[in-house]
Amino acid sequence: MMKYQYLAVIFVIIMLPISLVFSAYISAQLDTLDLQISYDTKLDNTTYDAIKAFQLNTVNSSTSDLTNSKIRDIEAAANSFFTSLATNFNMAGYNSDILQEYVPALVFTLYDGFYIYSPFENTLDEETRSRLPANATYTGGEEVTGLKPYIYYSCRYVKGNIDVTITYSLDNYITVQGTDKNGNGINDAGYLIDDVTYNSGTGQVTYRGITIEPETQLREYVGPTSYAYIKINGVKYYLDDRDSTNQRWFTITNGKMSYVATPFRSEDNDMGYRYYKEAYEFKQRLNDYGILDLRSANAVSPEGTALTPVTDIDGNVIYDFTGTNGQDKIFDFSDNGGTSHIEERDSNFNDHRLAVIRYVVETNLSVALANYNNYGTGTYEFRMPKLGEEDWSRILNNVSLISFLQGLSIGGKIYNGYSVINNNKNEEVVTEDSIYIVEDVTVPDTSNSTYHRVTHEGLQNMVNETTSKGVFNIDFERKSLGSTSSETTLYYFPKRDLGCYTCFVAQTNVVGGYDNVYDYLDSISSTANGRILAKIYYTALGRERYSMYKVFRNPEEHVNQFR
Amino acid sequence: MGDSLMTIVAIVLAAVLMFVFPLMSMSDRSDDISQLTVKTATTEFVDNVRTTGRLSLDDYSAFEQEISATGNSYDIEMEVKVLDENPGKKTTQASSTKIGENVYYSMYTSQILDTIAPSDGTSKVLALKEGDMFSTSVRNTNTTLSQQLKNFFYTVAGNDTYTIAAEHGGYVTANGSAN
Repeated sequence: MMKYQYLAVIFVIIMLPISLVFSAYISAQLDTLDLQISYDTKLDNTTYDAIKAFQLNTVNSSTSDLTNSKIRDIEAAANSFFTSLATNFNMAGYNSDILQEYVPALVFTLYDGFYIYSPFENTLDEETRSRLPANATYTGGEEVTGLKPYIYYSCRYVKGNIDVTITYSLDNYITVQGTDKNGNGINDAGYLIDDVTYNSGTGQVTYRGITIEPETQLREYVGPTSYAYIKINGVKYYLDDRDSTNQRWFTITNGKMSYVATPFRSEDNDMGYRYYKEAYEFKQRLNDYGILDLRSANAVSPEGTALTPVTDIDGNVIYDFTGTNGQDKIFDFSDNGGTSHIEERDSNFNDHRLAVIRYVVETNLSVALANYNNYGTGTYEFRMPKLGEEDWSRILNNVSLISFLQGLSIGGKIYNGYSVINNNKNEEVVTEDSIYIVEDVTVPDTSNSTYHRVTHEGLQNMVNETTSKGVFNIDFERKSLGSTSSETTLYYFPKRDLGCYTCFVAQTNVVGGYDNVYDYLDSISSTANGRILAKIYYTALGRERYSMYKVFRNPEEHVNQFR
Repeated sequence: MGDSLMTIVAIVLAAVLMFVFPLMSMSDRSDDISQLTVKTATTEFVDNVRTTGRLSLDDYSAFEQEISATGNSYDIEMEVKVLDENPGKKTTQASSTKIGENVYYSMYTSQILDTIAPSDGTSKVLALKEGDMFSTSVRNTNTTLSQQLKNFFYTVAGNDTYTIAAEHGGYVTANGSAN
């Protein structure tokens, strides 16, 4: 009979190697997971850094709306991404280009389209090539990493005579180009807003029953002095009236004050009024074009084929252009048979807009990532990861940066990750949340006044029709001003009001339970004070949206309207 | 005879199982804890510098003390990338403070320490500005108990390998003052 010792020893001899192998295996798996998490964090940090650089560059640049300046800012942000990636991966000192091999694409989603930063073949056009000398050292065909042409969030619609391309944006602004129901050309743009009335006789404009009027002057600091200003097409013009005999208007260009030659008519502005009035007229025009009758099923690809449904990470259909959503009227103004206000989140228009943006981003991006394999030197095959729903909702609602990092070995497998970071400090888009209400703009700066969220409980009883104003939240950000005489930089806050503690920090005093801010304002509009708050808010929202830079406008003509 | 040999083998195995294994796993866990402490401390230290734009000797000593409290000795490497003004402004719109477009020059650990703790015994603050980058990496230099045990049993760890390491870095987001 075998002794217990034998049994024990044999047991240990069998079990020990097995347990050693298992523990080694498990610890290798754990290391892989650890590494994956740490890479995810690094990618998040890096993406955040790139967004931060983008914010710092654009907030201090008055020309950041213009395409060439924007491209520079975005290229600068992409550079920051790679510098920061190198720092995060502890490869500081190396050339950050090494890491470009692992980044198939950076996607900068902006107001009405997006840029993809990825490698491409730099082909020269026929004309340039024909002009090259015979012994030219550069003849094109070089592989470069850079920004590809801007891609709009646009979609083609065909219905009878109507053949248009509609470009969507992060809010309710659209651009329509193509032919209308009578075969005439269209090139138009505007905001889609429901429930606006306009009396062409008296000029009265109402929105949701609230009368919208031109505003009196807005003031803001530039350096130590406060000036009246108007913002036209993304540029703020300040009135320098320190010398009453010589009043001049100036702008801030390259961080320095520069005076403009032609003065403006008035420092009062009617941007909010124009926003609603022009939206009213735009809707009438859309009706004349026959665009209002378009349904989802009319959406086709540029080649004219039907669009494939948008699906989520598990393959569930989110939006089916031809099937379940096919008969949805895209432009569902409530007086045009729609069930909800077109500018609100739950409208058909919004669902369709989000689906189109998502479709465009997804198709272009997967092509860019697939093409990356043609440029990469490695054996790893780059693939487009499926983005989660939460990430999509972030991409679709604000300006953001999507970064991809793939092909790094992390023990058991190859890393394939992405990161989405929102840029919530930008002058690209004015969301409903980005309007804050300043209680009293006339308070002298020795005793600062307070600004609130519009959903601050009981705010309607604290505002005053003439002294309270809505302000774009970017105006509370610190700005810099270069001095013309010395090489110093002055930092200042354009608006010196202080944030309300209970609605920004503690958030204890914020009204909840409403789907969106419109519903809340509708609910308080039964009282006179509530209507005043709604008026201040809607005017500010309209003013800020209207005074944003728009590619569609002729800048010269637009500015001249105010002269 | 065979019995007593087996008994000896059993005793040896029992000793290994009862003492060495728990010891190894204990020392592994203690390294894990050190790793966590060092990681947290490094992240905190770097983020503190990044968000205040100031690197003082006090901060550095506090950080050094915090990680030494794990009972190991560490090699701390710091790097500051200073955003330099671009000498060749490309266009009329060029701004000297644009991040991502301009060149950086680097300061490494010894230069940083020379700045914040100069040889005359005074302590100074290194002021950083918006757009600079700061990163720190930490590695243990001593051999921890778990490394020793592993070396003894399966000699995997060489002399220059480390088990506790942390690194963190990123953009400085504030203009610090040297006062």
